[in-house]
Amino acid sequence: PVTAGSIVVPYGHVIGNEKWRGSEVAQRLQGKVRLIFEDGLGLVDFHLSNRTCILLISEADTVAGDEFKRRLVRFRNASSLRGIVIVEKTQISDQYYLGVQKLVVLELGMVLLPVTNQGEASQLIIQLVSFCVGEQSRNRGANPFLRKRRAQLAEPAVLQAVQQIPGVGKTKALLLLQQFGSIHRLCNASIDELEEVVGRTVAQQIYNF
Amino acid sequence: PRFPVDQGRSLCVLADSREMCSAPEVISCLRAEHGLRVQVCALGTSDYMVSNRLAVDRLLQSELQSPGNRSKLSQRLQRLQGSFERICVIVETDRVRPGETSRFFQRTQYYDGVLSALVQAGIRILFSSCQQETAALLKDLALLEHRKGAAIQVPTEPEGHKRDILNFYLSIPNLSYGAALNLCHSFGSVAAVAN
Repeated sequence: PVTAGSIVVPYGHVIGNEKWRGSEVAQRLQGKVRLIFEDGLGLVDFHLSNRTCILLISEADTVAGDEFKRRLVRFRNASSLRGIVIVEKTQISDQYYLGVQKLVVLELGMVLLPVTNQGEASQLIIQLVSFCVGEQSRNRGANPFLRKRRAQLAEPAVLQAVQQIPGVGKTKALLLLQQFGSIHRLCNASIDELEEVVGRTVAQQIYNF
Repeated sequence: PRFPVDQGRSLCVLADSREMCSAPEVISCLRAEHGLRVQVCALGTSDYMVSNRLAVDRLLQSELQSPGNRSKLSQRLQRLQGSFERICVIVETDRVRPGETSRFFQRTQYYDGVLSALVQAGIRILFSSCQQETAALLKDLALLEHRKGAAIQVPTEPEGHKRDILNFYLSIPNLSYGAALNLCHSFGSVAAVAN
């Protein structure tokens, strides 16, 4: 069955496809995460959260042909979950990697992460789980790559910008901003108004700019 | 390329001037092998800009391996997120220097943690084994963005007065090089933008 729909994952748990029971990945995950096996997950191998799941592509899958590609496309079409594809990239399957990457990342817009064996896959899954849990608990500050919405002070930046006008250095930039207050007003100033602050030549330069 | 680009005008990619030293092969490959127009300029924030909205950073695998790089990397990517809608990193395998036997890459928990954080932050990740592959990936990305109508279409080498105006736009925080170029070409003057 082509089920790829969402599934409720209890907080801090991972739901694994029955077919992985007893495998090396599962054995290494046990003890590190709370792993539950379920039947009928269809295309998905592991659910990390209600939104994120993992599709595991083995070395044998990549060498065997295009079946795994059809599986990925079916998943992409059937599901709105965020799918992370973990692929076994070994000396043997290395030659296929670029093609797989092009399909998964560029064409399907999914995430692709290479590992060299099942042991590495389980280590990676453990790290991914910890970030998924962080996401659910709204503890997003833990991620160093998420943008912090910190307002930048505008004044130094405006001063910098005004100094890019030919003929204007730090002193004149300060005088101009004291007089006009904003770039908007500075842009709409007449030559005469500018002349009151700076000399005629520079006023002309600013006006032309 | 499979998708015809406007007559006589090839796809354009902006490259940061530092990449001239650190990845000369990427740039020459883009030009010679893929026929892209590569404009080297002081991008500052990102290594490459392949479209108006997509910035690409080239990272060596060893940089992702060492915890010492963490704060530098996160500052850099946060700054990128301030200026770009989409971000992609290309993780390139380190070059093996002559005389060195192929270094055994020991995958650490830290490395997996960095990858997970990138995934969660919505940053696209591509893997490359050398500079030539990186160039091919950049071309694929540029082509994809072109197909989606986001390609860099404006002239990338403003001269004289336009150059001054460009520098003015570049001093505005969170405005990318590409956005500044576009402002330069879509508006007659700074006053027109301000109003």
